[in-house]
Amino acid sequence: MTQRLTACLGFALLLCSGAGLSAAQNTTAVFEQPVLITSAGQNAEVQLAAVLAKRAGLGYVLSKMATASDLQNTKTLTLVLGASLKGLGAAGLDVDKERERVRTLVAEAQKRNIPILCLHLGGEARRGQQTDDLIAEFLTLARMAIVVKSGNSDGFFTKICQGKSIPLIEVEKTVGALDPLQKAFKQ
Amino acid sequence: MPESSAKKKQANRNHDLWRRLTATGCRLLLVVVSLFFSCQRQAIVQKAPPADRHLPYNFVGRNGLVVAANPLAAEAGLAMLKSGGNAVDAAVATAFALNAAEPFASGIGGGGFMVIYLARSQKATVINYREKAPQGASPTMFRDKGEQEGMWRTSTGLAVAVPGALAGWDLALRKYGTVSLARAAARAIEIAEQGYAVSQTFSSINKDEYERLAANLGEGSCYLKRGLPHEPGDVFRNPDLARTFRLIIAKGIEEFYSGDIARRVVAAVQANRGIMTLEDLADYKAEEVAPLLGTYKSYALVTAPPPASGGLHLIQLLNIAENWPVKGWGPNSPRTIHHLSEALRFIFADRERHVGDPEFVSVPVNRLLSKEYAAAIASRILPDRTLDSYPCGKFEESATAQGNTTHLCVVDREGNIVSLTQSINDFFGPGIVPEGTGFLLNNQMADFSSDPESVNAPAPGHRPVSSMGPLIMFKDGTPLLVLGSPGGTRIFSSLAQIVLNVTEFGMSLDEAIEAPRFFSYSVAGKPRPVSVESRLPEATISELRKIGHEVTVREAYDKYFGGAQGIMVLRGKKMILGGADSRRDGWGAGY
Repeated sequence: MTQRLTACLGFALLLCSGAGLSAAQNTTAVFEQPVLITSAGQNAEVQLAAVLAKRAGLGYVLSKMATASDLQNTKTLTLVLGASLKGLGAAGLDVDKERERVRTLVAEAQKRNIPILCLHLGGEARRGQQTDDLIAEFLTLARMAIVVKSGNSDGFFTKICQGKSIPLIEVEKTVGALDPLQKAFKQ
Repeated sequence: MPESSAKKKQANRNHDLWRRLTATGCRLLLVVVSLFFSCQRQAIVQKAPPADRHLPYNFVGRNGLVVAANPLAAEAGLAMLKSGGNAVDAAVATAFALNAAEPFASGIGGGGFMVIYLARSQKATVINYREKAPQGASPTMFRDKGEQEGMWRTSTGLAVAVPGALAGWDLALRKYGTVSLARAAARAIEIAEQGYAVSQTFSSINKDEYERLAANLGEGSCYLKRGLPHEPGDVFRNPDLARTFRLIIAKGIEEFYSGDIARRVVAAVQANRGIMTLEDLADYKAEEVAPLLGTYKSYALVTAPPPASGGLHLIQLLNIAENWPVKGWGPNSPRTIHHLSEALRFIFADRERHVGDPEFVSVPVNRLLSKEYAAAIASRILPDRTLDSYPCGKFEESATAQGNTTHLCVVDREGNIVSLTQSINDFFGPGIVPEGTGFLLNNQMADFSSDPESVNAPAPGHRPVSSMGPLIMFKDGTPLLVLGSPGGTRIFSSLAQIVLNVTEFGMSLDEAIEAPRFFSYSVAGKPRPVSVESRLPEATISELRKIGHEVTVREAYDKYFGGAQGIMVLRGKKMILGGADSRRDGWGAGY
């Protein structure tokens, strides 16, 4: 009986340590500051990302219309994924122009070896064809991704991240992104 | 008695007995069958809503029904009906409840229009409680702000017009209701105090408007959760709003227009660089006006008059559609979308040129609604290509121009009807909450034109033109369809599509509401893109592009096109059906 209990406890510990290892891997500090935060799709969640960055104590610049020149002193590019037609309209852009802006930006980031952190904070409500097209294009370039779980209920993010070996962290709620965000950056 | 005769007698007796038994059995069977069918007729067969909320689903009632943009609000209206209140009582109870349950879309900080149909007198009337510009308003007040104009129009105290909702609800109750303001507000107080789980719709809108809310809301506001938007499932409570409602009940609506709440409203507006004064609030009056009437084929349309332009343009659009074989073209076919989009562009040109507050400007309503004018527009629209420009109609000044002028629907047991649209304009308005009150103010000043020369330029005491179009449609003199929608300038386009889906394409009410939508407009006579929901087939979108339309593809079920609610009265079947839009949290409740 005691042997059986010990075996069970051992197995449970093994499972726990495995999960811990995976979480630790996902949240290893891989990014440096300062951070340039922009959206891919002019969504409203870019503001949330800025608030989270502030609460995480990160040095950041928020620029909704960031261009290649904004990368000058940047060590990490954070892309908040999700198309908002309202936001695009307010910025005087359409999806194609926005895609072009982000393409130019990430191309420059790659040229400068600036890693990209992708966030998807809008959950299920911030999915749809246009958003998915942007995710499919830019998530593949990420060093890490943090997403609100309900936005990944169909495994869309999981599939892309697994295909490219990108660490993916799922959080239940937007505020849950604060902890992994903090841990992802070298202090 | 010979044996054979005795047998015969017995046989006859058996036969009689059998006949009697059969007859009784038949009668019994008849009773059972008729009881069964009568029960079937009486019972409300309400299936459970489908798991996929976008699938068409009709709410059913026999005595009364309420549809609104939120389940708690619809249930509040139903409770009022069941407790003996009439349609007006239930509409006001639902409107109060919406302030608690869907606070980002309407409430006592805003205004609207209520179309009322009284079954006994067969009379229709309209309560106009649209907000008014403060006395300090001027035609250049936004233009003077230069590049910052957009921000000033939507996100500051300058965006706030004098609220009319409470005055409108109070007027409706006093004139056509049977219950007190206290009873109408009772369920809303419970909802605000007890709270409810935040829906996906609430959460996504909360996130969409986050920038403005974070900038304008005070510390600890219930409209954010520890400084971040609410997530689905979070519990939202608003005890301040409950307290405000209690105060209004105790002291009357004067508390809102000239008491402590008025002082808090003015303080909040002025702290955010606005111009509203206590006098502006004290001067506000809701008014009862005659409805706007029109027809579509054999259907009679009753709606709110200007400054609610939604009804006016809905009738105008349907008048134009009468000239085309829309039924043969089919729903959402390239031909249908092309022709209606072109018509919308002409209508927007008229809207820019002619529609303002009828209390101050002459709106050529009769000319705009004439069948001849509609036929003239229809004849200018080409079947195979778009036009380059869309001029407005030119009318001489008319001395007889008809003056004066969110959605929920109620039908009560007596057949009284309310079709009510109200708003605080943008979701969460300007994001300004008077301290300790729990309600959001409106940013309806943004509905004024930025052109100081426009008939809809801001001016003291003017009501800005609204796109609202609460509708009641009649067939052979009896109400058939009650309908309305939010959605800004998309309102009348969406309503026209729903009306055509029902009358031309034979759809059930909720099928008509859930069907894919499109919209187009013009600015200064120049065409803007056709926006369509992504459910439209690619072939249709390609065909529209071939004709010359720029097409913007939006989400499959996009709130941009509104969130319509409707009730269909099937008199022959003694049944009332409700349709509620899944683009938001539409819900119905009947009994």
